[in-house]
Amino acid sequence: MIKSNPLRWRRLMGRVRSFLSKPANIILLVFFIILTLLTLYPLVILLWETVIVHAGREARAIGLKKGATTLYHFKRLLFTLDDGGAGGIRLSNSWIQFYEPLFNTLSVSITSSAIAIAFGGTVAWFVARTNIKYKKFISTVFVFPYIMPSWTLALFWQSFFKNVNVGTGTSNGIMASVFGIFVPQWFVYGYFPISFVLGLHYAPFAYILIGGILRNMDANLEEAATILKTPRSRILSRITLPIVMPAMMSTLLLVFASSMSAYAVPIFLGSPVRYYVLSTKMKSLMDTYSGQAYIIAAVMILFGVIILALNKKMTGSRKSFTTVTGKSSQIALVNLKRANRPIALLLVVILALAAVLPLITFAAESVIIKAGDYSFSNMTLEFWIGKDLQYLDQGDSNGILFSPKVWKALGYSLALAVTCALVAGTSGMLVGYGIAKRKNSKLANAVNSLSFFPYLMPSLAFGAIYLAMSTRVSWLNGFVLLALVGSVKYLPFASRSGVNAMLQLSGEIEEAALVVAVPWWKRMTRIIFPIQKATFLSGYLLPMISCMRELSLFVLLVPTSNTILTTMLMQYSEKGWAQFGNAINLLIIVVVLTLNFTVNKLTGASIDKGVGG
Amino acid sequence: MKKLLALLLASMMLLSMTAVFADVAQDVESAKELTHEELVQKAKAEEGTFIVYGNTSRITTALEDFSKLYDIPGEGNNLKDAEIYTKLEIEIDGSAKGADMVMIQDGASLIYMLNNDYLVNYLPAALAGSVAEDDQNPLVQQYINKLFIYSNIDDKVAPIKNVWALTEPAMKGNVIFKNPETEQVNMNFLVMLTSDDWSDKLADAYKSYFGKDIELGDFKNAGYKWIAEFLSNSVFGSSDTSIAEEISQTTASGKIGLFVLSKLRSSSVLADNLTVAQYDASENNYTVEPFSGFIYPMYALVSSGATRPYTAMLFIEYLMGAEGFAPWGKSIGAYSTNQDLVPLEGDLPISVWKDSLVVENPAYILENYEDVSTFVTKYLQ
Repeated sequence: MIKSNPLRWRRLMGRVRSFLSKPANIILLVFFIILTLLTLYPLVILLWETVIVHAGREARAIGLKKGATTLYHFKRLLFTLDDGGAGGIRLSNSWIQFYEPLFNTLSVSITSSAIAIAFGGTVAWFVARTNIKYKKFISTVFVFPYIMPSWTLALFWQSFFKNVNVGTGTSNGIMASVFGIFVPQWFVYGYFPISFVLGLHYAPFAYILIGGILRNMDANLEEAATILKTPRSRILSRITLPIVMPAMMSTLLLVFASSMSAYAVPIFLGSPVRYYVLSTKMKSLMDTYSGQAYIIAAVMILFGVIILALNKKMTGSRKSFTTVTGKSSQIALVNLKRANRPIALLLVVILALAAVLPLITFAAESVIIKAGDYSFSNMTLEFWIGKDLQYLDQGDSNGILFSPKVWKALGYSLALAVTCALVAGTSGMLVGYGIAKRKNSKLANAVNSLSFFPYLMPSLAFGAIYLAMSTRVSWLNGFVLLALVGSVKYLPFASRSGVNAMLQLSGEIEEAALVVAVPWWKRMTRIIFPIQKATFLSGYLLPMISCMRELSLFVLLVPTSNTILTTMLMQYSEKGWAQFGNAINLLIIVVVLTLNFTVNKLTGASIDKGVGG
Repeated sequence: MKKLLALLLASMMLLSMTAVFADVAQDVESAKELTHEELVQKAKAEEGTFIVYGNTSRITTALEDFSKLYDIPGEGNNLKDAEIYTKLEIEIDGSAKGADMVMIQDGASLIYMLNNDYLVNYLPAALAGSVAEDDQNPLVQQYINKLFIYSNIDDKVAPIKNVWALTEPAMKGNVIFKNPETEQVNMNFLVMLTSDDWSDKLADAYKSYFGKDIELGDFKNAGYKWIAEFLSNSVFGSSDTSIAEEISQTTASGKIGLFVLSKLRSSSVLADNLTVAQYDASENNYTVEPFSGFIYPMYALVSSGATRPYTAMLFIEYLMGAEGFAPWGKSIGAYSTNQDLVPLEGDLPISVWKDSLVVENPAYILENYEDVSTFVTKYLQ
């Protein structure tokens, strides 16, 4: 048929050639293929798992052999509403195992997203657009909560606020024993603290994404409004907010998806008051009736997709967000005048409580021998620098600074984090370029969604699927496997900041170079990258930090539990080897801060630098 | 042509690997005839790193000592049961190099793994007379116990002589347990209570505690009734370690927990403030009706995907001896099934524990798991 119509064939070839002559198209095509393999395939597997029988308890309960197809999981998890007896629907299996946890999950996710956006966005605005004092401190310290593994923040909350009137009612935390303040139960356990801790943990997302936009936005718009005597509140609501809307939506998506699959925080802060969320139900079902666990995973993905669609609707065709045109670089800082110091001090105090206090607590807990006794006689540095500690019977015979095991894991974690950052960061930048250049084309939209998809997959399930994939591909194991999973999972961070950065960038800038025939890679490295360096680098740094403190994604894939620092840390946390655990936690934080500092000194960018200061 | 060759080579590799897998069961069968020296020789002749997955952190210590002793390179992984099963299935189904040997707790899933040849049981011939018959197939390497342990501050908790005492209204909020949904052995313990044997014992205990026959109402048997009332009185802690630490605080008078005995040796637990119900009973010659806690096994088995099956068998033999058990045996709360090894001073022998605690029966658990766990989740609300 093709031969019979040479003209048509030639026209088609011509179209293909012209399509491929644009780097943006090649990038999009390549990423479309790779991402389809790396994200859609796992999704298909995940969906398949919801209709097949798994071994053990499940096969026994259903009475079918492993591998047979069944709708039992759906029936059991979603449609068993009549077995509640006298308790009615609220004591039915589906209500207990699915609907109530779903409701709790949505409440927690929405609240934590709101907290993250409100807190992170406000601070970002102050730092990027006002002359607030102590910018450097605020900017540096704000990202601390994200660097700590989230469950350590939850443990801090618990040990700080607990008292004999709440939860297990066995002991008083610092708040009660030192300040004599006995906070009520809802403050220590359940919906509020879970949402708050998660919101705090993910607020840096908002800070980085919204701050990056605020810093780079064209001041002309606001200046024009100011000249026209528009009230400041109106400028904020009609100009500033719409411009940061895409970043706010990105934040919402990231925080919502992260909160939804957060597991350790609800376990620590929910268990004592019997507050269950989907992720905790999924984890326990994964051990027993995994078919139902995969349905929960699919539901979580579904909610992610809904928000993704919302996000696209808001940032898609309606508006253009070109804010960097090369014409203006002057940002007028809002003068806070007399309010400056009080606001600055308030922020510093909040940050000291939220970000610095946990660090001090970790440090204290890493040197005390018996829990709860903070006297000097109960302190030792053995857990940091000791030797021959076999007598402690806590998994290591050396303090962490002299432990070969810890150093090896640290090296591995670092290598992994840097690799993931390079792969994800570069891919994200390229994807961002491709999407921005071919904005609203079908291919761009597809790649945009695909590149975000991995983030919606619950980490644990994602890890399990990659483990299954790895057995079919001989070179896919060990470090390569971990690096691949990490890169794919954290690509959304990079692609988000890539897309944000590119959408801000006016096409004229590149066109100017195009006119004088500057080759593509030179345009990228000499023009585009330098202009949006801060935002791009946050696309490198976020995957790196996330990898350094990631646990559930890697837990099934690490060759040994001592391979990376977080699996080691979780093991220590679970065994209750608090001192070693806290010491390792601090080590992780210090290493990440050092990395951030080094990158900052070498390139002038840092995670918080997306914002200013 | 090249493609064809590659395909041929790949399929040959696959075939040869499946062939290796099939051999593990035979190797284990034939090894029963071997002397210790012959086993060592065969193990040393094997190649590659010896890989172990274990649901116990001390597996790494034991393996390090083993590696030194026999000069065999080893790698120990501390994973949870579900992770171990997931990995094993995927690796063996996919013919990928994985564990040679595993140590696991969840007996209910184990049945499937054994029936479908993912795992192979190996009992060192010399130990046949030293290990109780119940513990031989699948081989239990050790037992771990979770006991009723309470705060002795101000003597607010009366000595526990009957488990129905924990269901009294006065105990509401004072019983601390780890949520059975987040720890399988806890759920398994509850499942066991619904068996005829244990529900009868609980019914008898009810009568001796309240002085009247039990009235079941909607409950299927006394086991279900006790579970419901026990869980209604409980508060859930996040880990056994934190439960132990918390109840040992001076502010925790009146609290009682059901958690792992070995936590008492942890440097962060103020053990002097705690009383172990069974110790108190043994000292003062009374019994805790009808149980003072529960005990669960740690199984040691050869993976059918083993590329070092003889090393796996040698390691199992090692773990069953005094040297191999040492990483666990140095503190209370872990009991080797090798009856030739004496329990730690101050602790009780495994035979006493088995009589006073609820012991898992994997077959019963597998059979009744769904019913009981559905029931249990209603009382976790």
